[in-house]
Amino acid sequence: MPTIVIPPPYRGSTQGLERIEVAGRTVRDCIDAVSAIHPAFRPLVLDANGKVHRFVKLFRNGDQLGGDVLAAAIAEGDEVHVLAAIAGG
Amino acid sequence: MADGLADKMIRVDMTTQTASVEPFPAKWRLLGGRALSARILIEECDPKCEPLGAGNVLVMAPGVMSGTSAPTSGRISIGGKSPLTGGIKEANAGGNPGQDLQKLGYRVIVVKGKPADPKQRFGLEVDQSGVRIVAGDAYKGLWNYAACEKLYEKYPQTASFITIGPAGEMQLSGASVACTDEKGRPARHAARGGLGAVMGSKGLKFVAVDAGKLSIRQPAVRKEFFAYAKDYTKAYQAGPQMFKTGTASVVFIANMLNTFPYKNRTEGQSPDVETLRGERIVESFATRGGGMHNCMSGCIVQCSNVVHDKDGNYKTSALEFETLTMLGANCGIASWEDVADLDRLCDEVGLDTIETGAAIAIFMDSGGMEFGDAAGAKRILHEIASGTELGKAIGNGAVSIGKKRKHARIPVVKGQAIPAWDPRPLKATGITYATSAMGADHTAGLIVNPGLPPEQFAQASQESQIANAACDSSGFCQFLQPTIEEIAKYYTMFVGEDVTREQIADMGWQCLLDEWKFNDGAGFTKADDDLPACMKEEGVGPNHAMKFDVSAEVIAAAKRRFASREELFKLKATG
Repeated sequence: MPTIVIPPPYRGSTQGLERIEVAGRTVRDCIDAVSAIHPAFRPLVLDANGKVHRFVKLFRNGDQLGGDVLAAAIAEGDEVHVLAAIAGG
Repeated sequence: MADGLADKMIRVDMTTQTASVEPFPAKWRLLGGRALSARILIEECDPKCEPLGAGNVLVMAPGVMSGTSAPTSGRISIGGKSPLTGGIKEANAGGNPGQDLQKLGYRVIVVKGKPADPKQRFGLEVDQSGVRIVAGDAYKGLWNYAACEKLYEKYPQTASFITIGPAGEMQLSGASVACTDEKGRPARHAARGGLGAVMGSKGLKFVAVDAGKLSIRQPAVRKEFFAYAKDYTKAYQAGPQMFKTGTASVVFIANMLNTFPYKNRTEGQSPDVETLRGERIVESFATRGGGMHNCMSGCIVQCSNVVHDKDGNYKTSALEFETLTMLGANCGIASWEDVADLDRLCDEVGLDTIETGAAIAIFMDSGGMEFGDAAGAKRILHEIASGTELGKAIGNGAVSIGKKRKHARIPVVKGQAIPAWDPRPLKATGITYATSAMGADHTAGLIVNPGLPPEQFAQASQESQIANAACDSSGFCQFLQPTIEEIAKYYTMFVGEDVTREQIADMGWQCLLDEWKFNDGAGFTKADDDLPACMKEEGVGPNHAMKFDVSAEVIAAAKRRFASREELFKLKATG
């Protein structure tokens, strides 16, 4: 199964979990699957229109996803890292 | 010079208004910025001195890498004994003066003494022909932008400036030190701790630095240094570039994490987040102009926004997360455009936006003004500039206005206002606020990790403080987020000898030790390593349950060094 890697600031929404295995073939599937268990996760990643927040970046196996990020294909064993801007003076 | 032995330093005596050049001591060759400032203050400043007296020492120290081709490396530290906290202080800024000083071979400016006549103003000129103290009365009382415009009438366009505004001249404890950015605007501030007041107490209105067409500083191992800097830049630009739209972009997530203080920190979230979030600023670029830019030459982060008004005219730069929070949500002010006005006023008058935002919020919370009164807040800024009684009380910071109003909720540590990042959801950051010699300062060691297990709080805070001290000594910007390991590589190639990551970590730790030692000498005790009652008794978040509940023992543990682990060397500096 693919694994979603949760960034430290978001682990409050996942009861402290850093890695969550989910069933899914796209990034959107994976986010939906995590959000089904941890509803507070979704608004941290997606805005009210269902788009990825500007301050959030998604990576598949270390490569940053571009274009239609949510439609990106995810295969068995892939790791999806969620990165969020976590500083700001 | 790469080996540091031919570098110079400038000594200024404001009692006699003389400036001289000396060789830069070899023992300090690997010290720059914050670490150099702390070392000089330990060696040359009595911690018990009066912060606004002749005995205080004002340090202006570019980072070790400033003036080189290393990306985003030109920051300059301003240091001294703080009139706000009574302890040691370092605040750093971007802009070009740090790079220009280093191009001229100057590793630091050390200013001592004060003029007999407090009404006189002076300037310090630094260029290829030498250093001089000059009359500065013509600039007396000018706001920062006007002062710099007038300075550019006299000095070449290649010059950069370090200035103070009226707040610094009035020696108010919230006064900042301004540095000109790449466009020559005094928009980058070493803001925290009232070091502008220290500069004002010495009668120094400006420092003019003109490196002319001097080229960058050359490393000892040129080929490898340039290749590493090039690869580093390429890798950064291929990465997520989290700050590409400015630090204001974190408003939304900060609000979600209950670290977007509202109405003098009585709540952790603001109902006005939609009108304060950074996306609104980015949207304005399309119709008004403005956009993202370098605050200093050679920056690859470009997190600094340029904000225009409705008519397309320049209003301010940069409108950052901390300012949107402290002068916006924390004062109940809902419009980012009002905050932009307040930001410009703070830059003009020469004030720390965090301290000023906290002070205005306390004034509002104590019934002096309605929360959300943006016009009133702007009037206060004008009152500070003109030196009214209320203006001075607020310009002197959160504690000053809190005492005047006899108000109980004063969110400060060691006399300095707590920044936007809130210690209740971010408890490890709270340990940084408690233990840092600077008082509450997120740039001393920010840990945005609400899920961190309590047993890791102390070590996380300490490691972050070491990484940030190392970064703030190097000249790299915290938003580049360099690791200790990367800083060690740059140093190694620049000086041409092996500088290990362990050495860099030790230098970061030594900086903290120097700062704590200074504060011990100034009279601080363990009791000062604590957060105020309002952070421990009043919660934020659901049911107001998030409170700062970390024990004194855990706080104290952050000041006893943990064994270095691999994570320390790979930790990104973050502020």
